[in-house]
Amino acid sequence: MSSHVKGVFNHLDSLITAIDRLRKADFDDYTVLSPLPRHEIEEAIYDNEPSPVRWWTLTGALVGGTGGFTLASLTSAVWPMALPAGKPMISIPPFVVITFESTVLIAGLATLAAIIYHCRLPAMDLPIECEDPRYSSDRFGLVFHDLEGARKEEAIKLLHDSGAEEVSCADDEDDATELVHEEA
Amino acid sequence: MQNENAVTYGLVNKEVIEPLFKPSLAWAAIFAVDLLILAFGVYCWSYQLEWGMGVAGYTPPVFWGVYITTFVFWVGIGHAGTLISAILYLFRARFRTGVYRAAEAMTIFAVLSAGLFPNIHVGRLWYVYFLFPYPNQRLLWPNFKSPLVWDVFAISTYLTISSVFFFVGLIPDIAAVRDSNRNPIIKKVYNMLCFGWRGTDTQWRHYMAAYGFFAALCTPLVVSVHSVVSWDFAMAQTAGWHSTIFPPYFVAGAIFSGCAMVITLLVPITKIFKWENYLNILHFEAMAKLCLLTGFILTYSYIIEHFIGWYSDNPYEWGIFVDRATGQYDWIFFMMVACNCVIPLVWWFKKVRTNLWGLWLVSIVINIGMWFERYNIIASSLAHQFDPGAWVLYVPSWVEIGIMVGSFAWFFMWFLLFVKLMPAIAIAEIKEMIKPPLSTDTEEAA
Repeated sequence: MSSHVKGVFNHLDSLITAIDRLRKADFDDYTVLSPLPRHEIEEAIYDNEPSPVRWWTLTGALVGGTGGFTLASLTSAVWPMALPAGKPMISIPPFVVITFESTVLIAGLATLAAIIYHCRLPAMDLPIECEDPRYSSDRFGLVFHDLEGARKEEAIKLLHDSGAEEVSCADDEDDATELVHEEA
Repeated sequence: MQNENAVTYGLVNKEVIEPLFKPSLAWAAIFAVDLLILAFGVYCWSYQLEWGMGVAGYTPPVFWGVYITTFVFWVGIGHAGTLISAILYLFRARFRTGVYRAAEAMTIFAVLSAGLFPNIHVGRLWYVYFLFPYPNQRLLWPNFKSPLVWDVFAISTYLTISSVFFFVGLIPDIAAVRDSNRNPIIKKVYNMLCFGWRGTDTQWRHYMAAYGFFAALCTPLVVSVHSVVSWDFAMAQTAGWHSTIFPPYFVAGAIFSGCAMVITLLVPITKIFKWENYLNILHFEAMAKLCLLTGFILTYSYIIEHFIGWYSDNPYEWGIFVDRATGQYDWIFFMMVACNCVIPLVWWFKKVRTNLWGLWLVSIVINIGMWFERYNIIASSLAHQFDPGAWVLYVPSWVEIGIMVGSFAWFFMWFLLFVKLMPAIAIAEIKEMIKPPLSTDTEEAA
């Protein structure tokens, strides 16, 4: 029977120690929860690998800039009678404003789409162990998903040894959480 | 932040979230008065819709008056929020953390207020969609070489991106409000508002990357949006408007008035909500110094504008500047100079800029002065154009004044609702300023 194992940490350094240890022990299906972004956590898990969000922003900027300039140019081109005599039909300086605004607008909306996609929002399918109100207040969390047998015991011991103030586990078929360890 | 060691993550949640949802009698009374004023503003607008633009005080050739003045005023107020949240974020200015959420909210509500005025100004509200350059099947043929079309793009982009930036910043804090509340309905609503945010490692990683990009995208917007608004005037041939100094002059003025409005709003809120741990005199002093800097740029712009008017040897150009200072609008000119250039100089004295009353009163004076500045630019130039036969005196009607006052009530209505429903201090970012809890601290304490 697989279980979710959850550790609650009071201290950031204990959490980082736990992440380092679990990576060495080849655990890969886990979630870290924290009330604030900490670069130590990101470095410990992702080794400073940049987020793919940047590609969304760049693509949005290119699409927006091209689209804005094309919109302004084609509108001028299909209505040549509106031109004051002697002035260019497609005039770069005034269209720069439209191009710039469209670039920022579409890049911003693409970045928003990136957050929704990569953060998996709305995040309604996270396991119940991730829904602890302390994680948005003053505690850090580490949740292992679907552990069985010896691996489960190893995870509990790892959390305990790293300084978790509370360790608990819940079986998939039984939602009741069993408190395995709580620091005095 | 005051006494960083005494503030813990849990305390931040408690102190920022506690004042939410429970309206005090004072809040309810202020809100009721605000709604009454707003109702008067709505009445004035409906009166204008019924009887037409004749009820506004427009006197040909002055067709840009209080409405455009107030539009530019609100766009200017909307500047400081994005300046503080985006530019100061990129510069890692620590004082921004306590201030920026309220400043961002102020930006959104100010741009919402500004957005009312093109609708009011066009008169026939039911044709307002003509403003948008949508495809040409209606044979509208939008002219993308017109600064008015640039303005539609600039303001719409600014409102959209600032709103997205504001809302994205709120997501983790809305989750904190959800988790601290026991009411199941409030929990459900806030869970929907924060898209079920839990603060997982994946969420924070992409969120922080995106936040940086938003800040980078918003930074040029701060400069561009008021530059574009200034081109509404500077691209015209009207004397007193047709000037290359307008974009930096308008941007400096916008930051000046926006920072002053942040002080006006945050001084009472800090006192009422007892947020001295997060917003203290150092934050307000930093804002006052920013006002001093931008106020000097503004004063310099006034001087240069007049100097160039004289040096150009163009009688129309010089004539308008002489008329502003000595003609029928002279008191508006002197209000502008007194409120924007002279009175803020008291902030050079540390005693004044570190006194909450000194900060608050001067910030209100600056806001008044900046409204008069826009009026001075817009109305006086139109009332004193090239042909002396067309010189007129434009006096706003009670309908215009009512709508203008109503826009202030509209702005404050949103702000009052915001401080009761959303955390006006950025909880997660305040926590970033605090030393994280470490096991070594506990061992030392033991």
